[in-house]
Amino acid sequence: MSLTEEELRYLNDALAREPTSLELSMVSAEWSEHCSYKSSRPYLKMFSTEGKHVLIGPGYDAGVLDIGDGMLLTVHIESHNHPSAVEPYGGAATGIGGVIRDILSMGSRPIALLDALRFGDIRNDNHARWLFRNVVRGIADYGNCIGVPTIAGEVEFDDSFTNYCLVDVACIGIARKDRLVMLKGDVDDLVIIAGNRTGRDGIHGASFASRTFEGEEEDRSAVQIPDPFMGKLLIDATMECVEKGCVKAIKDLGGGGLACCLSETADRLGKGMFINLDALHLREEMSVEEMMISESQERMLYIVEPSRFEEFKVIMDKYEIPFSVLGRLTDDAHLHIYYGGNEIARIKASIVANAPVIKRKAVKPPYIEYIASNSRKPEMPEYDDIADILLRLLSNPSIASKEWVYRQYDHEVGLRTVVKPGYADAAVLRLNLDYAGGEGSSYRYIAVKVDGNSKHCYIDPYNGSMGCFSEACRNVACVGAEPIAMVDHLQFGSPEDEHVFWTFVESVRGLADYGRYMKIPCVGGKVSFYNETKNGAIKPSPLVCVVGLVNDGDDGKVMKGHASRDGDILMVIGLTKDEMGGSEYYEYIHSILNADVPKVDLAYDKSTRDAVLALIRAGLVTSVHDCSKGGLAVAIAEMCIASGRGARVELSNVPHTCTRLDDLLFSESHSRFLLSISRDDLDAVNRLLSDHPVDRAVIGEFNGNSLSLEYKGSGINISMDSMLDSYSSIARLMGHGG
Amino acid sequence: MDGMPVYRINVLIENKPYISDPEGDTIRKDLVVKGGYHNVKSIRVAKMLKVEVEANSAEDAKDTVRRMCEDLRLYNPVLSVCKIVESGL
Repeated sequence: MSLTEEELRYLNDALAREPTSLELSMVSAEWSEHCSYKSSRPYLKMFSTEGKHVLIGPGYDAGVLDIGDGMLLTVHIESHNHPSAVEPYGGAATGIGGVIRDILSMGSRPIALLDALRFGDIRNDNHARWLFRNVVRGIADYGNCIGVPTIAGEVEFDDSFTNYCLVDVACIGIARKDRLVMLKGDVDDLVIIAGNRTGRDGIHGASFASRTFEGEEEDRSAVQIPDPFMGKLLIDATMECVEKGCVKAIKDLGGGGLACCLSETADRLGKGMFINLDALHLREEMSVEEMMISESQERMLYIVEPSRFEEFKVIMDKYEIPFSVLGRLTDDAHLHIYYGGNEIARIKASIVANAPVIKRKAVKPPYIEYIASNSRKPEMPEYDDIADILLRLLSNPSIASKEWVYRQYDHEVGLRTVVKPGYADAAVLRLNLDYAGGEGSSYRYIAVKVDGNSKHCYIDPYNGSMGCFSEACRNVACVGAEPIAMVDHLQFGSPEDEHVFWTFVESVRGLADYGRYMKIPCVGGKVSFYNETKNGAIKPSPLVCVVGLVNDGDDGKVMKGHASRDGDILMVIGLTKDEMGGSEYYEYIHSILNADVPKVDLAYDKSTRDAVLALIRAGLVTSVHDCSKGGLAVAIAEMCIASGRGARVELSNVPHTCTRLDDLLFSESHSRFLLSISRDDLDAVNRLLSDHPVDRAVIGEFNGNSLSLEYKGSGINISMDSMLDSYSSIARLMGHGG
Repeated sequence: MDGMPVYRINVLIENKPYISDPEGDTIRKDLVVKGGYHNVKSIRVAKMLKVEVEANSAEDAKDTVRRMCEDLRLYNPVLSVCKIVESGL
């Protein structure tokens, strides 16, 4: 059992007796870090969670946003790191299944997925390639099978993920405001489990995810098997139940299985439950402990009023979904678990559902000081070498085209995706209530993007995390959307390590400060600790998924892609600074760690984003791209690749405070955008920008079929073909197809 | 290395017995039982690779194939069992 001595004492005190063995199993599952947030909970209060679009914030299965006209968006993010490291195909696929059921739990229809993935070095590591290949295939197979498009994401490669991987999936749902399912329930309502039969798979999954990853052989019990067909049936059946209004509460069975699902639901409802485990539909014979903590996939809990049971049954039978009426709600706030006629557990739901908080020590890790006192700069390259460096950066898998990944995903099913992967910096969905079973007529355009940067967050978790948030906001702004909410996923090593825990606290602080300043509320998220292998903790890897709304009012305009035309002017907004710490240029090209990670100037960040959104709304730009990994030079090259035409750039015009040309080219300073503008609109652009306190400059023009970077008389010229060739490195490494 | 005999080796990859097999279950439930074969109690899906390999002996051929399956991760030992047998023809 995984309870500490203190926790055991706390439990004994709360019960005023020794727990039964089943009670102990249930509590152990629910009090795992994975389910209980016992280390992180006090810190998550730092997030600002309220905003004009927020209907439901953190603490539910998904955050709920009101986007007007009776339309609601739901959003949630989950990871499936340990299971994917053991069985990448099934782990990633069941990760998708899990996040989709969270969206279903609010009575909303899942309509889009995003994935953020992290692996070791796929250039030299067979195992990393095997993980990468199968994780992507697992996401594709599950998402494609159930008809939910995967519309955006990001991938990063770093040695700290060797023999491991981070697999994060976010899901967006849509609901009618008059059909949202909140947890409700009255005494004698039925407690029903529907979906797959319960088997021995995924036993101890939650506690597996709450300790250090030991390698695959010992952890075979935590293999989880996806069943996308059942996943799809559950979506359709649940939506029909919601439409009929015959369910009062819906809850996903995820980590910790029945133990967590029943105790959390009962606790939330303020009710008790009478549960008869003899009724549970099983795949194989198993012990009561195993029944309570099995994490068999594709199962849902429904609370149904007895008078509506026939309607519920007709729907489940129609979809041929097996279900068991496991029990009913009581008014005594206790879980009564019966098996073979005997009461084998009787425990207050609130005790199981609320683990005692553990106060963790947070101490600044020595490596941060070490990097600070050993920071250096590389030797300045010859001007002629810049071309080669840029091509190598473009072929760096963390920067290179992710087409090999998203080509495996169906990103169009459902017909809502107006901006698809590879076309712009964020995906855009067109929403209408018709799709959610209503009769709305007006459209809402929303943009979504997920971002992370483990290299920045390792060196400076506060500024690095804030930077991830800023980047995700920039990306949704690039398609014309105003950020309205975020969900985050905080992934770290063991919270028992005071140094790791410090990076967690700093990271939360960075995200919370940004959110509060920008008035972008956090509406949900997840914390995943114990992401460690035999080689130690992963780099701190918080991820931020930002949802933006294009037309909050009627003045929106969607930027559909990189549509620069010959003769368009290239303008930069923002200031390039000497902030080279964690840059791909320093780490990938020179293997140099430098402490000076890019910092977000909050007021300036907001000004640049506002300026860009104003230009987009005025219809004055043909294309917008943000500067991030690889800096200005990479961003310019990406615009050339995306629009299929070259550019001629005069670097001395770029607003900057750098002392070196390589810093100017490759610094990853935040709050910078590249825009292409029709020559005829330049005056109007300048007029509009005169109201915005931002640095800006015309730095070149799109034309021809090569990129020419000039600096005070010297110049380099790189052909489109060689850029495209470098940028396609992932497809080459992975082979074509899946 | 001319003249070595060619052996035909079959590789059978299937989920371990205690791991569920939704694909097999779906085939049984939705195709077989609905098709009237009520006495079919279980179906498990497996993948078979038919490999031809040059080797000195059948044992060497099986060794090569086993190494190939493990090195190249043609199956995941956590999830699946991999049976390697010589096929007659």
